Amino acid sequence: MEDPGGRRPVRVLACGAADRGDDAVGLLAVRRLPADPAGLAEIREVGQLEVEALLDVPSRAACLVVDAAAGVSPGEVVILPLTEVARGGAAPFSTHGLPAEQVVALAEVLGGTLPRGSFVGLGIASVGVGSGLSPVVAASLDAFVAAIAGEIRRLADAAAD
Amino acid sequence: MHGAETRAGDYHFEVEGIARVEGEGSLKLRISDGEVREARLSIFEAPRYFERLVVGRTPNEVLDIVTRICGICPIAYQFGAAQAFEDLFGVTVDPQVRALRRLLYAGEWIESHALHVYMLHAPDFLGYDSAISMARDHRALVEQGLALKRTGNEIMRILGGRPIHPVSVRVGGFSRVPRPADLEPLRKPLEAAVTQSLETLKVVAGLDAPVFEREPLYVSLRHDAEYPMLGGRIVSSDGMDAPVQGWRDLFAEQHLEGTNALHARTHDGRVYQLGPAARVTLCADQLHPLAKEALAASGLAGAIRRNPYWSIAARAVELIHAAAEARDIVEAYRPPVRGLEPWTARPGVAAWGTEAPRGLCWHRYEVDERGLVSACQIVPPTSQNQGAIERDLAEFAPSVLDLPHAEATVRLEQLIRSYDPCISCATHFLRLEVERD
Repeated sequence: MEDPGGRRPVRVLACGAADRGDDAVGLLAVRRLPADPAGLAEIREVGQLEVEALLDVPSRAACLVVDAAAGVSPGEVVILPLTEVARGGAAPFSTHGLPAEQVVALAEVLGGTLPRGSFVGLGIASVGVGSGLSPVVAASLDAFVAAIAGEIRRLADAAAD
Repeated sequence: MHGAETRAGDYHFEVEGIARVEGEGSLKLRISDGEVREARLSIFEAPRYFERLVVGRTPNEVLDIVTRICGICPIAYQFGAAQAFEDLFGVTVDPQVRALRRLLYAGEWIESHALHVYMLHAPDFLGYDSAISMARDHRALVEQGLALKRTGNEIMRILGGRPIHPVSVRVGGFSRVPRPADLEPLRKPLEAAVTQSLETLKVVAGLDAPVFEREPLYVSLRHDAEYPMLGGRIVSSDGMDAPVQGWRDLFAEQHLEGTNALHARTHDGRVYQLGPAARVTLCADQLHPLAKEALAASGLAGAIRRNPYWSIAARAVELIHAAAEARDIVEAYRPPVRGLEPWTARPGVAAWGTEAPRGLCWHRYEVDERGLVSACQIVPPTSQNQGAIERDLAEFAPSVLDLPHAEATVRLEQLIRSYDPCISCATHFLRLEVERD
């Protein structure tokens, strides 16, 4: 399913701060991806989600944004199409800089369209500096990794069709 | 904003979710007899945690830790710490290392100022609720802002090893210095950034700012030979003048009742303002010639000094300065003879300040006989600006509180945004609460 030109079919933008408690969960999750889905994706750890990162997604690639999520229950995995994120949703789903929905919506306005793709987030409980993952988020990490892996496979399969 | 009559004659309303500020905080206004009795801006202060985290660490470990204080201004925290230790340890870096540091800092200024001018502040002036709606009608403007931001990020990526939380800054210099070829990709973007930033000032000079004038006490660093970034003396608009190590001789942090935040004041209790408007007011003669000329042509120097809304123009002037200086540094660059000076830790007090995009960021470390940090004080710009913001809000609020709630909310949010408060790490919103007795 890898692009013959060498590009992988999915670009993953992993957001988070490694030393801020549950805020690290997106970074930790993509580092634990099994080889199979990881091999289908070009993974970029971007800290904050920036408009430029979305505009830079290659035209034929899908995009998966991975981040800690506020506004959902701690430990809950949320998967949303990027187009739905751009519509605002009911809560600020990202913890970084400009709200994620604004970043995604701005990329849509400037790019004319959004990359095909999804947002996968995990509800967080605590973002204390140096505190490590909270128990509820640590217990949900495997499910989060599985959700990310599943989305990468789904997006890659769709690209191959 | 939610409003409610709490009892006969009293009034209470609050705003939740101020947009386009970095991070979150809360603002409470208490109004009695038609006058604002109290304006309290509460900001979660990340450095308080970091002041404990660095205890027992080596100087270079401190650099790796303090860069995490802020995703917007990591360079400011690293350079403040690095130069504090270098000052204590008697380290003088190669002039080209210093030039690279100014280049890296310019990258942070460009990224931060472009974000604020274009994405956070310009929508207020043009009548949009966000950069998204603004982009639909002013696509070229937003793209210009993103191009500037990207150039700033690219400087930080090349010199710092990555766009955020750079890893190359060390006590004594850089862990790795670039070859001239490494900086080559910056030439064209920086040439474009100079043009884009000049255009930015022209655009913002044509905006209409709300009328609100006052004479704040401005404080910034001032350097003998350059626009302040990496150091200088601490000066003020009323004549204060002290070495950069002497912040405590001029100011003190106070713990105010009812808040976790420490607020800085002069020793005689006055609030003061830092940041682009302070620097442009106190150091305009040190601007890059292109920026100085553009500022003069704009005719906005007085407005920048008196009206907080015109801070957007101060940022635009500093965009010109940072882009032009970065371009000049890249053009003149030759690798330093020694990219990393050797040093030996010695016990004592290390103190230094630099000019972060939002103003003076001051560090003080006590180093023990083992070369480890035993105590730390970091004074970020926003906590120093809090008092001035609160004073301005108290002065401004009566002019809008009779407006419909939604409109009053927007006007107060706009004023808060004009200070570009960096309240990262607070939860997610500024919560504005107004109480009328």
